[in-house]
Amino acid sequence: MPIVVDLYIPRQSWAHAIDPRVKLLFVASAILVLLVFNNLFILLGALLLLHLIHWSARIPFQKIKFVWKTLLPVMLLISALWILFYPTGTPILQIWIIKITPLAIAQGLVLAMRILSMALAVFAWLYTTDQPSLVRSIVKMGLPYEWGLVLALALRYIPTFQGTYSLISEAQQARGLDISSGTGFRRVRMMMPIFVAMVISSLRASDQLAKALESRALGARGVRRTTLRDIHFRPVDYLYVVLILAITIGLLYLKFQYGLGVHSVNLM
Amino acid sequence: MSSQVGKKVIKNENISRNTEVTETINFSCLCDPLRVLRESPGSLFLLEYCQLTRQACLKAQDLWFAYEDSPVAALRGVSLTIGEGDFVALIGQNGSGKTTLAKHFNGLLRPTRGQVLLYGEDIRNRPVSTLARRVGYVFQNPDHQIFSPTTRDELAVGPRNLGLAETEVQRRVTETLASFGLKLYADRQPAALGFGLRRKISLATVFTMQTPILILDEPTTGLDYRSITELMELTRKLHHRGYTIILITHDMRVVAEYAPRCLVLRDGQILADGDTRTIFKQTDLLRETHLELPQISQLSRRMIPNGMPDDTLTVPEFCEAYSRLSH
Repeated sequence: MPIVVDLYIPRQSWAHAIDPRVKLLFVASAILVLLVFNNLFILLGALLLLHLIHWSARIPFQKIKFVWKTLLPVMLLISALWILFYPTGTPILQIWIIKITPLAIAQGLVLAMRILSMALAVFAWLYTTDQPSLVRSIVKMGLPYEWGLVLALALRYIPTFQGTYSLISEAQQARGLDISSGTGFRRVRMMMPIFVAMVISSLRASDQLAKALESRALGARGVRRTTLRDIHFRPVDYLYVVLILAITIGLLYLKFQYGLGVHSVNLM
Repeated sequence: MSSQVGKKVIKNENISRNTEVTETINFSCLCDPLRVLRESPGSLFLLEYCQLTRQACLKAQDLWFAYEDSPVAALRGVSLTIGEGDFVALIGQNGSGKTTLAKHFNGLLRPTRGQVLLYGEDIRNRPVSTLARRVGYVFQNPDHQIFSPTTRDELAVGPRNLGLAETEVQRRVTETLASFGLKLYADRQPAALGFGLRRKISLATVFTMQTPILILDEPTTGLDYRSITELMELTRKLHHRGYTIILITHDMRVVAEYAPRCLVLRDGQILADGDTRTIFKQTDLLRETHLELPQISQLSRRMIPNGMPDDTLTVPEFCEAYSRLSH
């Protein structure tokens, strides 16, 4: 019963074909833009744009719903807290000492949409990039190969360790360990046998893996490592880079030079 | 040689001091008295499978089970009865459902459909830790169980989990160390010992809980001949003392030499259930399930035209049959 941690959804789409480095640039730019702007309409536009990107990348609706569902509690909490405790401008409603103002409502919505948009930007990258390409992109941008390998191994071993955990848990339960009862500290103490067995097992596994990797010439000196599956910039990828940079810089310029989005519902 | 009919009495508390248990030999019309004498001289308990007089301790009734994300059922309508004091081997290909079935016996898996009865009681809602009092499961990988700093501590974990008094725990640990030959390693770190020893220790840790039923999941994989013999002789001794043994294994030689009864599984169904000797004679069945007879049995079968029997299971049997041949 393998539980895969990979968020990648294999599809044929323009977004899947883009070089992962471009997508990373997109994520960084998107987060920057989303943090800089406080305008309700701009953020609404960004949110819609991101949904459009997800839809055109053929990401199933379920996956987008997943992001919404996970973030909804946080979004509601933050909006509510802001609306209730940061009144600015003229209040339209007053309950006891709590003043509700339209400006505060707008800002609350902005905060909620910002969180969601940032998450959707990150997921647009993760849903359309598979693990090997992801690691390869980071390595190509300068991360030493061994670090990239560490990252890839960590991701690959998560399901393995989940499997080992359930096996160890079963084995200890079969010896009478009761992990369902008890509260707080006692419960943690009950997990100790499982924890220790897991650590020993992980140490053994990592030792064996290290020997296996070494036996396959990891870290060989004097040779340049080649790659079986490489990623390359297509001509259109350069275009995307230019587009993303132009839009980002353009938006920032418009905001700081001409005050775009400052005079509408803006509190900064 | 005389035969007496009577009832076998097992007292769990005194199981380690089997000299105090009173019993009379139990014969049925199925057993071969001569073979009893030949195979187990001096043993106190009868090894033959005799469903009529044995108390059924484990029962599966029309058991169905499918893993969560699997459309195919791992177990399909399995029904079996295991009597107290039985020694049963579950054999079959990988994926035939042996471990899946065995995990139902101590509650690690719950049936999708059907029932599992332990001493007549449906165990569907019993937590695993409660069932651990009656059913001991020795896992395939000893490293999934071992976590204590010393062997002594490791052996004590089981009985302590069961809430026994410390004096009783220590008594059991000392006794187990002696009977398993682990006295030398009592204060060593079990994780640092060799694989064969770790295997033995994992069996010992379950043994200290003194559960009447013991399930051994592939105990012999990765062991050399000598370690296999050591482990299986230990298991046989336990069986002689009255423990019910369920053995999951691929090793047909081990089944032939140690398990009087076996269950053949394929694709989640029981194809055959009975006396090992009888089942090993059904070559079509074995071929269907891709199970190979032990080499000595294969040799014996090849020599059927020369007068060798068709149901040889062990080397001593072969030698005896062969010596009767040549004149």
